[in-house]
Amino acid sequence: MNWAGTARTILVCALMILMQYTVRPLLAWRASIDFLIIALLLGAVRMRPGGAAVYGFLLGLVADSLDVGGFGAAALGMSLVGFAASWLKAVFFADNLALNGFFLFLAKWAFDLIFLIAGRHAHGAELAMQIFVWSPLSAAVTAVAGVVVLSLLKPLMDVRTA
Amino acid sequence: MANAARLGNRVDAGLLIGCMVLSLVAVVLKEEDRAPIASALRRTIVAPLVGLQRGAERWRTSWVSSEQRQAVIDSLSLRAVNTVALKSENDHLRKALGLGSRLEWGFVPAEALHNTVPGTDNLVTTLTLTAGSTAGIKRFSPVVAPEGLVGTIQTADPTMSIAILYTNIDFRASAVAADGTTFGIVYPHAPGGSGSEAYMLELRGVPTRSTLKPGTVIYTSGLGGTFPRGITIGTVLQELKTSEVWTRTYLVQPAVAPSHITSVLVLTPQRVTQGTGNVWGATVNADSATRKIAAAGDSIARQAAALEAQARAAVLDSVRRATADSVRRLLGATPPVSAPVDTTTPRKPITPRPDTARPGTGRIPPT
Repeated sequence: MNWAGTARTILVCALMILMQYTVRPLLAWRASIDFLIIALLLGAVRMRPGGAAVYGFLLGLVADSLDVGGFGAAALGMSLVGFAASWLKAVFFADNLALNGFFLFLAKWAFDLIFLIAGRHAHGAELAMQIFVWSPLSAAVTAVAGVVVLSLLKPLMDVRTA
Repeated sequence: MANAARLGNRVDAGLLIGCMVLSLVAVVLKEEDRAPIASALRRTIVAPLVGLQRGAERWRTSWVSSEQRQAVIDSLSLRAVNTVALKSENDHLRKALGLGSRLEWGFVPAEALHNTVPGTDNLVTTLTLTAGSTAGIKRFSPVVAPEGLVGTIQTADPTMSIAILYTNIDFRASAVAADGTTFGIVYPHAPGGSGSEAYMLELRGVPTRSTLKPGTVIYTSGLGGTFPRGITIGTVLQELKTSEVWTRTYLVQPAVAPSHITSVLVLTPQRVTQGTGNVWGATVNADSATRKIAAAGDSIARQAAALEAQARAAVLDSVRRATADSVRRLLGATPPVSAPVDTTTPRKPITPRPDTARPGTGRIPPT
């Protein structure tokens, strides 16, 4: 990946991070869009898996610092998701938008699973409700948003470079 | 090449394991240990993001509160509109209640539902009333409101009835003006018409010798037996030019606005027979009394003036005769042959013009 591509990727990831802390509180949906996951996947597929894990770890720490409980859970989840995304980048970010959306959905759901279990945010029925109802809904919304972002930024980003 | 790739994979795995270990350490840290780390992050690296999030949440809060405020304003506006309608209805019901208490007996209260005539400009000519023959309502029973006459019953079913308004082409009412002397028949002005003219009345058949001024109140006369005497019909607006030579026709503004009719009273036949008395102000009787009082006052004034003139004439006559006698005595002249005038005999009293004054007030005191 050349410098221009790197700069564009950094810019888009920064934009996603900004949207996480501006658009998301404005929307305040129960099943909200996770722009950090989109930023993580956009960046992770352009790095080596180890770098993607570190990137995810840093993003997770940012998220954890604003979370009252479960410090470290987001870092753990994003490290794993980033590493997996980078490792699976041959399949991820193919030209098929539906496939990209599906992997975004899986990434968000996996992250929520790790985050909820590791952070001990919920227990029992509430945990099941969160995992099987609200997390899939949030993952679906995130997938849709990610597909929209990818569609809009496709001319800007060179996704095949890695 | 293979060694480099293997090394790269090991580095990746090592980084992943390192990140996982650090994350797990952060997870298992005690609250008092992890709070300073999180706080340090919030104060340094994440501070701009915290500011952005706080600003976005403020926007969100102000947006939601603005919506809530708007909802409150809308609710208050709606309540204000309803309050006006309720106040109007309350006023009308109070008036109806007042009319009911003045009538005391012989009436049936009913709610009125407006019926419009198809093809006209929503002209209300009939009302459906929520009381019927089981409550004592019969055909041709008068329908009244606190303001005055509304119409008459056309059909009386057991539980409901239909009344024709004064706008109906079949409506007629014998009427009398407030002076109690001018009679006529009230008709709809423009039956089947549109606009405000369709809600006006005409007072027809008024004798040519009788002139009604604008503002004169028209009441039911009680003739014909349908309506008792004294129900307000409306007020005269102006005289209408017609081809009639011996009678006049007047345009009358009805006392009752059909759009305001929500509840009415239906007079029973017994009440129609016995009359309603002074329920609608009875201006007819009041005007008659006023006229009588004014006439009596005029009679007294005329009598007083006549008495004063007679007294003045008697004094002048006495003075003239006394002066003539004195002159004659001074001149030694004999009194005239003519018989002396007897001034002691009381003069024949001048009777005043016959009127309604009390008898005996026209006597002249003896001179």
